Amino acid sequence: MNLVSDGVFKFLLSATTGGVGVLWTIHDLVFLARLRGADRRDPLVADQRFGYVMGVVIGMIGVLGTLRFNGVL
Amino acid sequence: MAATSARAGAAAAMTPRVVSVWNPANAVTVSRYFTLPFLWWAVDRGYHQWATLFILICALGDKLDGLFAKIFDCRSTFGELFDAITDGICYGFALILVAAYGWAPVIPVVFVIAMGALNTILRGVYIRRAGRATNYKSYAMERIVGYTSFLVGFATGAMDVQFFYWAFVPVMLVIVVHDAKRMLVDAVPAAVMADRAAPAGAKP
Repeated sequence: MNLVSDGVFKFLLSATTGGVGVLWTIHDLVFLARLRGADRRDPLVADQRFGYVMGVVIGMIGVLGTLRFNGVL
Repeated sequence: MAATSARAGAAAAMTPRVVSVWNPANAVTVSRYFTLPFLWWAVDRGYHQWATLFILICALGDKLDGLFAKIFDCRSTFGELFDAITDGICYGFALILVAAYGWAPVIPVVFVIAMGALNTILRGVYIRRAGRATNYKSYAMERIVGYTSFLVGFATGAMDVQFFYWAFVPVMLVIVVHDAKRMLVDAVPAAVMADRAAPAGAKP
């Protein structure tokens, strides 16, 4: 019992995961760049910096996984 | 007349604002639990697309409750904690479900749930250190929770499951270790301690 065809389902999964992965990576890279001049000893800044780095890593995993899912890698 | 009005305004500003737990944002949070029986039904029948739809609705509820809290101005510490607990229960249940039905590898799922439980315990310790109910804020943890919601979707959509689940493990381990240090060792932020001194419910 399917909602859409298998091809459309695969496309939606790829678009969602790949799209979110790309946007997430760009978003966190931009926010990370904005923190360049901030005080590294400030705990809030340190937490933000770490969070954005992890966000970039997770976004990249999303992009890589989508490429693998579609046989590109 | 104007002076009376000004005094009333000042008094209102000083009166602690109490947000009822019966608010639209918490209603949306509660509604997320209703997707779980449908998710179970879809997984049990082998309906991958339906299962993906139900976990998507559950994940959208996570975004909607925050939006409702802003629109209806009903943000509260309870709401934040309730949201975090609901995340844990919904995604934990969904991960156990997909692992039990062989849609996801068991070892990473056990690891994810164990790390989630450990993080919950650490949050409890942090609340004790802060001396009041407070939602521990972590930018990295927000991101890993987002990844967790996708994990269930990868299983229901049969999308390169092994890669996404095993890639999750080291990322979550690094984040939990980092947050454990912050919650157990680092000083509690001054803002949290200042809130502790303020009257209960003074902050929405």
